[in-house]
Amino acid sequence: MKKTKHEEVEIQITPMLDMAFQLLTFFIMTYHPAPAEGQFSMNLLPASPQAKLDAPAADTSAPADPNVPAALRTMKTTLHAAPSGALGRVTVGEVEVQGMDQLRAKLKEILSDKSLPFDQALIQADPQLHYEDLMRVVDIYSNLNITKISFAQMEDGGGPGGAGGAL
Amino acid sequence: MSGSVSSEVRAEPNLTPLLDIVFQLITFFMMVINFSKDAYDARVRLPVAGSAKPVDASPHDDRLVLNLDRDGRLLVPGEVPQGTEEAINWIKQQARLTRINLEFAGKKLKAGEALPTTLVIRADKGTPYSQFFRIVTACQAEGFQKFALKAMNSEG
Repeated sequence: MKKTKHEEVEIQITPMLDMAFQLLTFFIMTYHPAPAEGQFSMNLLPASPQAKLDAPAADTSAPADPNVPAALRTMKTTLHAAPSGALGRVTVGEVEVQGMDQLRAKLKEILSDKSLPFDQALIQADPQLHYEDLMRVVDIYSNLNITKISFAQMEDGGGPGGAGGAL
Repeated sequence: MSGSVSSEVRAEPNLTPLLDIVFQLITFFMMVINFSKDAYDARVRLPVAGSAKPVDASPHDDRLVLNLDRDGRLLVPGEVPQGTEEAINWIKQQARLTRINLEFAGKKLKAGEALPTTLVIRADKGTPYSQFFRIVTACQAEGFQKFALKAMNSEG
């Protein structure tokens, strides 16, 4: 029988390790963890010219539901801003509230009342208002499971302008 | 002097486990690396909204990201921040390009039909509402209807 001759073949792994370390360094240097971003997805339809958003609610929109017109089901929130752009007065329907906590409490109270037909929201905001405060209000609505939100802008003359939407 | 015969003792550490670990680390960093910096603009400080949903878009979704800085200017990668007029022109141009792309793909839109592109709005927390509103209405006028408003899930 032939005797097997054991010959050890040594592979140099040091250069490979060097290269692997270089690659590792590159990836560590370029690593930039993306912050945890979320999003509110919405379908914003262009505002129809006849839908006067600041006119009396009852006779504005075409009824989507045979029983209750869409305008009556819309919870209107008006956000006034201080000159600095921070949130000032907030009006829910006709009621004035102070600050986000009161707004949250008020909306929760209104929306938990099953006798009221509200299932969508209209946010009308001051042009100066910071986007941050708008998002806080959207967040409140989203937490209360109101997913249809539309936006409008307050103007000096109280003129309308709107973007209907569904969250 | 130690006049001993130099008995050559070679210390050869076993580098294979080390290499294994290094490869694992490389794999990890390769997986998490994100080259798509264009959509992420560090100048924009997003607002915080706890109920914002995690992004579940597949890479095939047609998305167009608009970064708005604290003055409401549009930040286009590689260009100077754009004021309202330029921003609206840029949106018009993007809408036109989207329509051309769709036409090439054989999906011709009917007049008045909404574009399938989702507009991702990354606006700074200090952006005035008027700018945000102007951009949204400009996009709607061009036929975009799907929007995604970005927010951070938590502070920091």
